[in-house]
Amino acid sequence: MTISLGKRCVAEAVGMFILVFFGTGAAIVTLMLASGTTPSTPFNIGIGALGGLGDWLAIGLAFGIAIAGSIYALGRISGCHINPAVTIALFATRRLPGRDVVPYIAAQLVGAAAASLLLAWVIGPDAVTIGGLGATAPFAGIGYLQAIVIEAIGTFLLMLVIMGVAVDERATPGFAGLMVGLAVAGIITTTGNLTGASLNPARTFGPYLGDWLLAGQNLWAFFPIYIIGPIVGAVLAAYLYDYLTEE
Amino acid sequence: MKCYYCALDGKDSEAVAICIVCGMGLCMDHIIRKDIDVWEGGYPLPSKRVKTPLPRILCPECYNALYAK
Repeated sequence: MTISLGKRCVAEAVGMFILVFFGTGAAIVTLMLASGTTPSTPFNIGIGALGGLGDWLAIGLAFGIAIAGSIYALGRISGCHINPAVTIALFATRRLPGRDVVPYIAAQLVGAAAASLLLAWVIGPDAVTIGGLGATAPFAGIGYLQAIVIEAIGTFLLMLVIMGVAVDERATPGFAGLMVGLAVAGIITTTGNLTGASLNPARTFGPYLGDWLLAGQNLWAFFPIYIIGPIVGAVLAAYLYDYLTEE
Repeated sequence: MKCYYCALDGKDSEAVAICIVCGMGLCMDHIIRKDIDVWEGGYPLPSKRVKTPLPRILCPECYNALYAK
């Protein structure tokens, strides 16, 4: 007997809220710090100017620690996927019943949207105009297809870690949250300045919706990147892990 | 083994169980059965409660120490 679907969906929404509030919140605050005052000071170096990779590490760790906390707090209740790509990959490998997929994804989208809208409210208009609510988009020089591949590779690693440290019954118990969080932090550090390192359709949905509703940028044209890439990457990783570990 | 509580009252009762915490012998009149739900699984899938709970026998003193509010 599992906990009711309704309660599990609440857990997914809360976990997703935590991920987006603290993760994209770190991105917003970093952009606002980088924007600084006018004229700029030596401290306002901006993302990518001098300390760019350090900025991405900080953002990555904010995501990673929020994810680790959510997994340890909510993992037993819903599984704490907090990522539609992970939900679909677990369904594709017959670990999650089909009837749970749509409610889980809907809950994740609701949690992400709530976090982005709340961030806009608590920080103020600068969260949208300067921080863009932490929305992801390909950086200059990164094409649409390249962005999909980057997102797929990043999510491939994330799902491979989830399979190895959590799904596999031989994994050492207790480390899943920490390792998944650190993996996310590492992936964001590397690919953040390429695509924004979403790895998660819901994580991109929240800021996109918030920006769209609050007269920020309209980035919906990029949304397929963050749907196709993560889902393809996660499903491939799940199938590959099953193939590699079957006798 | 005899029941500790009955022995205190001067009665001679055979023990049918032992308190899992203190090891005291207990007759049927003095055991407290406190079943424990067993959950298996967890991240990234929801935990499942196993249908059959784990039986756990306690003496009245250990039950009060653990569960009295």
